[in-house]
Amino acid sequence: MPTEPAAGGEPAPAVELSGITKRFPGVTANSDVNITVRAGTVHALVGENGAGKSTLMKILYGMQQPDEGQIRIGGVPTAFGSPADAIKAGIGMVHQHFMLADNLTVLENVVLGSEPRAGVRLDFRAARERIREISAAYSLNVDPDRVVDDLGVGERQRVEILKVLYRGARTLILDEPTAVLVPQEVDELFGNLRELKAEGLTIVFISHKLDEVLSVADDITVMRRGTTVASVSPREVTSRQLAELMVGSALPVPELRDSTVTDRPVLTVTGLTVTGADGRTVLDGLSFTIHAGEVLGIAGVEGNGQAELVEALMGIRTPTAGTVRLGGENITRASTRHRREAGIGYVPEDRHRQGVLLEATLWENRVLGHQTRRPSSRGALLDLKGAKADTERIVRDYDVRTPGIGVHASALSGGNQQKLIVGREMSADPVLLIASHPTRGVDVGAQAAIWEHIRRARAEHLAVLLISADLDELIGMSDTLAVILRGRLVADYDPSTVTPEQLGSAMTGAGRED
Amino acid sequence: MGRFSPRSLLLGLAAPLGALAFAVLVCAVILGVTGHSPLDTVDAMVSAAQRPRTFVNSLNSATTYYLAAVAVAIGFKMKLFNIGVDGQYRLAAMLSAALAGATFMEGLPSFLRVALTVVAAMLVGAGWAGVAALLKVTRGVSEVISTIMLNAIATYLVSYLLNPARLAEDRPGSNNVGTRPIDGGGQVAGLEIPGSSSQLFGLVFLAALVGFGYWFVLARTRFGFELKATGLSESAAVASGVSVKKMVLVSMLLSGAVAGLVGMPQLLGSSYSYSLDFPPGIGFIGIAVALLGRNHPVGMALAALLWGFLDNSSNSLDVAGVPREIVGIMQGVIVLSVVVAYELVRRYRVRAEQRDVGTALGRTKTAEEASA
Amino acid sequence: MRRMRGLRLAAGALALGLGLTACGGSDSGTGSGGSTQASTPASELKIGLAYDIGGRGDQSFNDSAARGLDKAKSEFGVDIKELEAAAGETDAQKEDRLRQLAEGGYTTVIAVGYAYATALAKVAPDYAEVKFALIDSTDAKGANIENLVFAEQEGSFLVGVAAALKSTTGKLGFVGGVNTPLIQKFEVGFTAGAKAAKPDATVEVKYLTQPPDFTGFNDPAKGETAANGMFDAGVDVVYAAAGGSGNGVFKAAKAKGKLGIGVDSDQYNLPALAEVKDVIMTSMIKKVDTAVYDFIVSVKDGKFTAGEKVYDLKAGGVDYSTSGGKVDDIKAQIDDYKAKISSGEIKVSSTK
Repeated sequence: MPTEPAAGGEPAPAVELSGITKRFPGVTANSDVNITVRAGTVHALVGENGAGKSTLMKILYGMQQPDEGQIRIGGVPTAFGSPADAIKAGIGMVHQHFMLADNLTVLENVVLGSEPRAGVRLDFRAARERIREISAAYSLNVDPDRVVDDLGVGERQRVEILKVLYRGARTLILDEPTAVLVPQEVDELFGNLRELKAEGLTIVFISHKLDEVLSVADDITVMRRGTTVASVSPREVTSRQLAELMVGSALPVPELRDSTVTDRPVLTVTGLTVTGADGRTVLDGLSFTIHAGEVLGIAGVEGNGQAELVEALMGIRTPTAGTVRLGGENITRASTRHRREAGIGYVPEDRHRQGVLLEATLWENRVLGHQTRRPSSRGALLDLKGAKADTERIVRDYDVRTPGIGVHASALSGGNQQKLIVGREMSADPVLLIASHPTRGVDVGAQAAIWEHIRRARAEHLAVLLISADLDELIGMSDTLAVILRGRLVADYDPSTVTPEQLGSAMTGAGRED
Repeated sequence: MGRFSPRSLLLGLAAPLGALAFAVLVCAVILGVTGHSPLDTVDAMVSAAQRPRTFVNSLNSATTYYLAAVAVAIGFKMKLFNIGVDGQYRLAAMLSAALAGATFMEGLPSFLRVALTVVAAMLVGAGWAGVAALLKVTRGVSEVISTIMLNAIATYLVSYLLNPARLAEDRPGSNNVGTRPIDGGGQVAGLEIPGSSSQLFGLVFLAALVGFGYWFVLARTRFGFELKATGLSESAAVASGVSVKKMVLVSMLLSGAVAGLVGMPQLLGSSYSYSLDFPPGIGFIGIAVALLGRNHPVGMALAALLWGFLDNSSNSLDVAGVPREIVGIMQGVIVLSVVVAYELVRRYRVRAEQRDVGTALGRTKTAEEASA
Repeated sequence: MRRMRGLRLAAGALALGLGLTACGGSDSGTGSGGSTQASTPASELKIGLAYDIGGRGDQSFNDSAARGLDKAKSEFGVDIKELEAAAGETDAQKEDRLRQLAEGGYTTVIAVGYAYATALAKVAPDYAEVKFALIDSTDAKGANIENLVFAEQEGSFLVGVAAALKSTTGKLGFVGGVNTPLIQKFEVGFTAGAKAAKPDATVEVKYLTQPPDFTGFNDPAKGETAANGMFDAGVDVVYAAAGGSGNGVFKAAKAKGKLGIGVDSDQYNLPALAEVKDVIMTSMIKKVDTAVYDFIVSVKDGKFTAGEKVYDLKAGGVDYSTSGGKVDDIKAQIDDYKAKISSGEIKVSSTK
């Protein structure tokens, strides 16, 4: 793309968004957003979940059209009707969730949708050559003939990047690219980004991980509540200042005060083994104990058995071997209902799949999972009055922002749904809380509140199994830390001494001695 | 909750009324294009509505349609599609008719005979639905496929049994074949309605009772809650300690038991025998009525009444020279448009609620938050 | 008229879908209500006819009744009203239909099909001045009801004889529309006739649907499949007692160079079957049209008699047809059986 010289002699900005406003019925996603992305730079766009970053990027990528405002590409006013227009203008998008077909090769995935033709025949040879060229030019290290299924997360991401470059992109949008990576992979990615920059490409980098942003970005734009609130240079701000710009207030920190760990075991897991539907062993002889008043944090790259562990503990998945004891009772074969009644609280990883009924009211969601117990029911009958009164209490105590308990859960923001779930699970006085990513996607205030509730319950001898992708949360909130890798617990750490880098190494298996 | 009620009610009515209005419009246009007068049609319908006999017949039809709709709705509530209500009620009606008409029953007190007949019908219906439930729970067979198959098997089974050598009686000269007629003691007396030659089915009260039970179970019991939860999100229900297999089994059995009741008002209130002309196809009407009534106990009652009236006004249309096919077209358009209308209303409701939450919290929520 | 209105309706719906609106108002003069009051000043006779499912245009049973009505109408210009049953309706709806006719001043009412029996039994006593005819059933009796029934088994016996004599393989086929006692009478008579003519003849029997699925009377594709199966198994003559589905049977016969036997009307002469008529060796004629016409005449002449009127072979109510000349060579033998049945020497059972 030609970069016309602007009046001042400087090259025109690669992307210039001015006064962008986008309204959805009842909601303004973006209002008066202004961003200038200099050509040949890495420009970070930061903001909390829900700050309007994704909507803005969808507008830039042509997936949505702004109600007001202007987009200039290389100084030229442009309007995108669809992503195809954006691609033509040299803009490419690497989505947070990869859009690759697992059983196709890299080559096939890359050419999918822009098949190279020689006459009527697909010309794979030329395409393979180009992929090799691009891979070499930017040190992406991608082999066109490998099947995507065999690739790791970092490699898949590089395939996504390559796919975008293959289509001729000069400006790349990366939506939360590090969310799925371990620290080492993040470093590699940043290396690639620097290469791209050196070749004159422009990168828009969306993130809410501030340390990463500070290390890789040339310019930073901060978004809050749908609008741009600041444009700063990474040399001028600290991570903390940036965070406070994002949330508009001071920050909470995850930390436990005094140890409350007792010697009374609550959950004792011995040799827990789970086999997946395809016969693969997904949990391999896990053993651990959580005591009353103890938080056990489990670190790991997603997909290494965390989900299976949680489901086995909840009785959703049947283990092939091993035992699970709650207090003195062997609950290895007990039903989910029995486990819940025995005092296991459950904050699921995917709240929409397992945590709430979106098309049910808040008070009905209060009953969910607690339908056999007071105050939700009495015998076979529901106790509507009791359930509603207790929902009011949770809304109050856990600061669930809602006009009433009769609205559907779908009307609430993710953070408020999460607060409702945590409140619900805590209100049954559990002896054990299984919390998967309890603060994922919630705002800072809610995050602090949830941490505080866990701390308080821990002081009252609650045992907690904490699974999180947020290493700071894990380190700050755990009494004991374990790393899970390919279905095994591979290392234990003392959270008071461990660093995120050490954890990251263990999570990828790099730090293993065997 | 209270503050959302008036709008909920309005929105609830908007879709079916909109669909009805749309269907009327489509029919009017079709009638106009084919050279019939829409006004004549309205006239014929109005005069039909005023005839006590049509009114009673409509109510009687609605009674059976309602029972079928409830049977379907029990499944629908947990995203279980019991397409087999049709086969279940036919088999149940046939077998219970044979039982009720049997000579050994004639000595029993009337109440006991009726109760036995009804219970037998429920058991047969539940049993037939239970086959599909077992196949789903143990073998993962889709209940849609299995109930359709079971409908066909029921047809053959009824044909086989409806033979003088088996459960039917010989009726020389009638060209019909049916079970032995149920005598007075096994019948359920109808209600005399002034000006009508037809009586109102006594079992209309059974339908009302079933409707009330349906409401109560869904709104007030743990079982009903788990049923709804499973329908809204199976994964969330599982995580909440609901055994989905058990729910599939129980709800299918319940659905089948109610399906077994579908034939009872007609059998015990009018036909007194299961013969070749026993009305078929009510199970499918039940699906349409449940769809139109949004699985709501009152909504389905209104939908059943509408359906019953449309069916029973077709003779009047025929007499007035309006093609009776227009009734079928109207019913078809209603079902199709109501599905669309409900989806539109649902989306509107979600947005409206999100807006409410936003307003109540004094700020505008971002789209990402709303969809998070 | 009934059928035409339906067609026009469908055409209208189609035109609407295509965005065409030009076909409006195309009243072809059939009259939307079927009422021809103005043209019949000579007669005071108002005739109501309630069809079974399918109504006028079903190429079968209902059409046969319609022919009788049409004949009466053309001869003495009666005022008629035709109503039709809907699939899946209840007795109450049939009852309502009969009552609407009676209340509308139609003093001569014909109920086509045994399904009307229960409804008529309830209606007839309330309208003593109305004369009712009930076709195919003796289930409803009354002082103002005439039951018009047919000895289908006797006619079927004759075509069974014809089939056995014409067959070279000795294997015959019977395709019944719906497995009801009525159609079973056709089967029983046919088999008896075949065995009488050729004791070692075999009859392969297939019913297209089971009640309450009555589509077997109007599903030519099913008829074709069933007949094809029979022909492939060595059958060379198939009797199609299946209403409109018979068309499929004849199509299969034509494709495989085999023979078919028609039912109800002299199907060789039906315009709708012109393409396959050369395989229709004969038809079992059930003279519903005659019965309807006779009934109307009897009412007109004030000679109505209540009770059962049997249209058997002797009375000419059933017969076999000779159109096409395919059975001319064996006519003598068939007529021999015909005489024996009429005289009572051979009794044809109506049940298995």
